[in-house]
Amino acid sequence: MIRLENVKRIYTRRGQTVTALQCEDLRISAGEYVAVVGPSGSGKSTLLSLLGGMLSPTSGRIWLDDTSVYEQSVISRSAIRRERMGFVFQTFNLIPYLTALENVQVPLALNNVSPVNQVGLATAMLQRFGLGDRLNHKPSEISVGQQQRVALARTLVNDPQIILADEPTGNLDPTSREVVLKAFDTCYDEGRTIITVTHDLTAAARAKRRLVLNDGQISEESFSRAKVA
Amino acid sequence: MNLRSLVWKELRERPWSVLSSSIAILLGVAALVAIRHVTVHSEQEVSRQLSSLGANILILPKDASLQNYYAADRNGQTLPEEHVTEVLMAGLAGVEKVTPKLSMPASLGGLEVTLTGILPQSEFTAQQAWQTAALFTPKKHDGCKKASHEPTAADMTPESLNTTRSIESLEKNQIVLGADVADRCAFSEGDTVELLGGTFTVLGTLTRTGTVDDSRVFAHLHTVQELAKSGEVVSAIEVIGCCEDAAGDLVPELSKLLPGARVVTVSQVVQTQVGVNRLMSGTSWFVLGILILVGGASLASAIAANVRERRREIGTLMAIGATPSFVQRLFLMKALVLGLVAGTIGCVIGLLTAVLIGPQWAGVSIVPLPGLAVMAVSAATLLAVLAAYWPARQAAKLDPCLCFQEV
Repeated sequence: MIRLENVKRIYTRRGQTVTALQCEDLRISAGEYVAVVGPSGSGKSTLLSLLGGMLSPTSGRIWLDDTSVYEQSVISRSAIRRERMGFVFQTFNLIPYLTALENVQVPLALNNVSPVNQVGLATAMLQRFGLGDRLNHKPSEISVGQQQRVALARTLVNDPQIILADEPTGNLDPTSREVVLKAFDTCYDEGRTIITVTHDLTAAARAKRRLVLNDGQISEESFSRAKVA
Repeated sequence: MNLRSLVWKELRERPWSVLSSSIAILLGVAALVAIRHVTVHSEQEVSRQLSSLGANILILPKDASLQNYYAADRNGQTLPEEHVTEVLMAGLAGVEKVTPKLSMPASLGGLEVTLTGILPQSEFTAQQAWQTAALFTPKKHDGCKKASHEPTAADMTPESLNTTRSIESLEKNQIVLGADVADRCAFSEGDTVELLGGTFTVLGTLTRTGTVDDSRVFAHLHTVQELAKSGEVVSAIEVIGCCEDAAGDLVPELSKLLPGARVVTVSQVVQTQVGVNRLMSGTSWFVLGILILVGGASLASAIAANVRERRREIGTLMAIGATPSFVQRLFLMKALVLGLVAGTIGCVIGLLTAVLIGPQWAGVSIVPLPGLAVMAVSAATLLAVLAAYWPARQAAKLDPCLCFQEV
């Protein structure tokens, strides 16, 4: 369970104060598939960063089960991300000088998995995404859709409970977009929590719960029929 | 995949960037290694030349000349033996060995010889007053750094009279024969000979030097003083000074210490080389300063630029769970690899340069000095790591969210 309790994030830039996010009480249960939509500047990315333990709230608390995330040290928050979360980025953020296999190995290496096991696990994950023949290709040598699949493999290789996605289909053609959304569906079926920030209404429609953000506040909330309690 | 392979793969991807960021360190190490090799070998050459000359400073009676000394120092004038004590007690930097001598004419087996009294070095240490003198306390020399007052195996043989102008041990009834004397009188080691009414045992004979020493007979200084009935006097005090001190401040200091004596030096023959050594020694410090300033600044700036251009990658690594210390180590290890590689290549270039130009530049042949090479590479590596410390810390402090916003 993820819970935001009186969370406020304020930015001060050039003497001006902007409230990027204000949320009195938001609860996301384990295994939920949530899409956060809203116009640019509405606070979607701020919400994702706060949930990912990467951006301290100006006030309030964020709970991950019984742990108040921002009362943990930086090292503990890194461990939470490493062991329990997976990120999907709009621009994939693959490391350009590493091959597909090596990119997927990175989270395993950070989790101190032995090099031999790293190769086995990363290869299996890439094969799951149909990239068994692209293991030794660098990001620049594969298509955009394949890059996002490598990024998905990197996200899932550590078997995270929570997936945080920032515009995961934003740069993709319809076919690749469908591959990503199917992967999310599978993750949902596997019981993982998925929180995706998107402008893509089709992608948002695949989520079981939708939050609409406006001016940093949740203005609307809707559920699909298969609502998770 | 681990920290090392991440660093290695990034460096391998951008060889020109690696080269440009470490070129200053590479060139600095190359220059430093080349100059230090030439300097060290040149200093050794000076030491060798001075060693071949024997004593490089002479303390003579006021009216004696260098010609008198080379004519077997038998000019009839003498100095008080206590000058030896004064020199030793003064603890002047650069005085490595002091050898007082008293020469007198004598006849041995019908041959006219110069009987030279010499004080064995072992007697210096036996005298309490001198033991407290600075001569017997190892001290740091800025020059050739060869001062060592521990006798070597070579010092224990009579032949050391030829090589170091001194002998470690000589009994009062022992003599050492110059090559001419030994040949013409047909004496050899262990023979007993009569000289000026005394009976002596031949401790050894010297090899030919082509100098006046070939016609000398060396005996204990105090024996010769007794035979000459001269009292506690000497005709010359030979001083072996550290090369650079001998060519520099030591002579004026000795002149000031012994105003009644004449202090002359024979080190002018190596004056030019000593000057070159000093210049190169100074230059090597200058290059070291440049290496630290320019090399360090250039690498620090390259790592800082690398941090800036990799903010997104750093953010990604942090998002997937890398700790700040992992990120810091990533950049420090990169700097370490750069320093090690640049230092090693620079060291090889410096060695080759020294070997090639050493003979023409300083007239000495260069043999690689492994200790210096290891020190140069270690210094370059340490410098690189220190230079990268601040940018690496900045990288570790980056907020992953800010990195994403810049994407």
